[in-house]
Amino acid sequence: MQRLGRDFKGNASMSTTSSNGCCGCRSGAGDPRRGFLAKLGALVLALVAYVTPAIAGLVAFLNPLRQKSKSGEFIRLAALDTLDGTPRKVAIIQDRTDAWNRYPNQPVGAVWLRKVGENEVKAIHVVCPHAGCFIDYDAANNRFVCPCHTAHFDLDGVRLDATSSSPRDLDTLEVDYETKDGVKYVLVKFQNFRIGTADKVEA
Amino acid sequence: MNTLLRWLEDRTGLASACRGCLERPVPAGRCCLGVWPSVILFVFVVEAITGLVLWMYYSPSAQSAWESVYYVQHEVLGGAVLRGIHYHAGQVLLAALALYVLHAIFARAYRAPREVEFLLAVLLVLVTLGLLLTGDLLSWSQRGYWSTNVRTNFLLLIPGIGSALRKLAIGGPEMGHLTLTRFFALHAGLFSAALAALLWLHARAVWRADQIEAAGSGASPYWPGQSLRNASACAVALVVIAVLVATGTELGSPRDPIDAYAAARPDWYFIGVYQFANYFPGGLKIVPIFLVPGAIVLVFLAMPWVGRSRVGHVANVVIAAGLLIAAVVLSAISLAHDRANPSHQESLQAEHASAERVLELVKAKGIPTAGALALLWDDSKTQGPKLFKQHCASCHDYNGGERPMLAEKPSAPDLYDFASVQWLTGFLDLKQLAFNPPPEELSPSNRPKYFGNTKFQKGKMATFLKDDLPSLKKDIDDGPAQFRKLIEALAAESERASSTKPSEDTLALFEDFTCTSSGCHHFHGNGEKGAAPDLTGYGSREWLIGIISDPAHKRFYGAKNDRMPSYAPAGRPDQQVLTPRQVEMLAEWLRRQWYEPSATPAE
Repeated sequence: MQRLGRDFKGNASMSTTSSNGCCGCRSGAGDPRRGFLAKLGALVLALVAYVTPAIAGLVAFLNPLRQKSKSGEFIRLAALDTLDGTPRKVAIIQDRTDAWNRYPNQPVGAVWLRKVGENEVKAIHVVCPHAGCFIDYDAANNRFVCPCHTAHFDLDGVRLDATSSSPRDLDTLEVDYETKDGVKYVLVKFQNFRIGTADKVEA
Repeated sequence: MNTLLRWLEDRTGLASACRGCLERPVPAGRCCLGVWPSVILFVFVVEAITGLVLWMYYSPSAQSAWESVYYVQHEVLGGAVLRGIHYHAGQVLLAALALYVLHAIFARAYRAPREVEFLLAVLLVLVTLGLLLTGDLLSWSQRGYWSTNVRTNFLLLIPGIGSALRKLAIGGPEMGHLTLTRFFALHAGLFSAALAALLWLHARAVWRADQIEAAGSGASPYWPGQSLRNASACAVALVVIAVLVATGTELGSPRDPIDAYAAARPDWYFIGVYQFANYFPGGLKIVPIFLVPGAIVLVFLAMPWVGRSRVGHVANVVIAAGLLIAAVVLSAISLAHDRANPSHQESLQAEHASAERVLELVKAKGIPTAGALALLWDDSKTQGPKLFKQHCASCHDYNGGERPMLAEKPSAPDLYDFASVQWLTGFLDLKQLAFNPPPEELSPSNRPKYFGNTKFQKGKMATFLKDDLPSLKKDIDDGPAQFRKLIEALAAESERASSTKPSEDTLALFEDFTCTSSGCHHFHGNGEKGAAPDLTGYGSREWLIGIISDPAHKRFYGAKNDRMPSYAPAGRPDQQVLTPRQVEMLAEWLRRQWYEPSATPAE
């Protein structure tokens, strides 16, 4: 403190209360009880003054917690005839809302569709459950690969590595079928799942 | 004048404060370590100045973030240098802080009275990491976006509150406008202010410690000896930044929310952690990503107290050196692994090509209000290969060009250079038309190119080539030359405006070679439709759009269509696999008909 005193000697009088302030206040050093009340009052008032805007800010800051991701709905993706045993990536086209903007008919994601029987289709979400990268189909080895942390999956989405980066197998999506004008279509319930967990839960 | 200065000094005390700074004692032996705080302050000021001006140009929204950074980089006078300095000086700031911390450990300069000084240096490293991680997203490029996506997804590893933390970090359930506004507020506001405050506290701690140490050992005043050393060190830092700026600053292509960047990797300071995390199975990722780094930070914070004893100090040095070596080794492993991974290299190249392409498009067309991504989404050169790979490449090859695409089991014609003279010459050669090597002999140069592996392999066309064409070539005057003319005439169809008819000679040529006799092709009013593809405008944009949309239309294969799906059949929007625009882009790409900036045609 010796140094401070030397550096800022021009301000040395700051520590003592001035005898005649702007509002005609007097030094309150005489009465210890009044001193305590002054301290308490100063603290409470300062707290209220600062906490009010902090709360206002905090409430608005927490707003994203109210927002849920879109719940799944069945979307018609392709005519059954157009699919075969090789996985095909099909884009999900939906209206997308980003804060104040609404984008109609935008690609919002994709699924891998593959015929597993004469009239049966398997749908696998394109997002890797590890860190949210998009998995690719590795045609040479007939399997799925996540390029970010090199995880491998078979065509049913089952992990192939001994220690896979992915905490669970790839997410399959519910599939339904409908026939219209003699053409059989594949419908998929498109929803996002929580990333990074061993259990598949809706995001 | 003097009176004025004296009055100012009396009211503010600034002059004596400055004198105090300059005359403050620097303890002997502190000269080298003492330059680091000065270098760090210098780089911070560089960041503050360049950041403030970048702020004047930056627009944080999903439609304009990349676009505004593009504007700085390519249109603003000196903008590329400004952005380069800001980007690289950020890296230098982190490196300088890390070296400072390591230097302090090795020099045992964290002991009393320098504990607080050391703790603040560690906190400075953390805040700088926050600045770099938030800054990384702001350009809204593919790399920054997808890296941030992975990073924020890691928050989900934290039990209980992970999901809430991620929502708070990115401003909602998915990344978008609010991610940018939040990251920008953190970057330019909270973290920058925190860095400034920590630097100030750190400077106070250093001065105080210097003062205490100077009382015990010999000391010399800061001015001019130490200040010269500091200024020299800052100059070195400036040179390092300048060299890095000269290497260029990547912008990349605008983020595409449905085309994940497969080569997303962390920057140099996190590659070690990235590789470390790869050794852990999916269920235990919280260990390498949060627990181990968190524990390391705690170990560093405890070092001043551990290092009080001789043994503790040695332990600290071993830990710091070990971590440094581990980081270098892990980074090298990761880089070597990626370098040897062809699909990683391919993704890098694709991103590079996309980044160059978007610049060409922006220069030619300007950026629409929807953003630069709309240019790429509407660009045949960009979308063509993607659409082909996704929808066509399981049957068709595209065996040529910069990036050939080969089907696993080719079962339809190779469409590279489709309908060109060369392509047609091969097509009209029976050996090539029906060539179909056994699957085990397939190689990039040994593959069916036309009807091999299709139901047309032994169809009417093959029969014609086998039984009729050789005799026709003999019977027609100047047969081989006429046949060549026929091929050229057919190739010319792809360039012909659909309304103009070919010459009588050409029509006669088709007649001579019995192309338009009944049960065969239709050609400009001659022959019938429905038996085999119409050769009118063969390979033109309009013809390709037609066949991709609906090959089973009677203009093409009709009921004889093999396995090709109808991607956008007319009047049946329910059955559309591709949008009309996507079909157009695919056709344009197959014809290599896309915008190129120079006058020279594509390829």
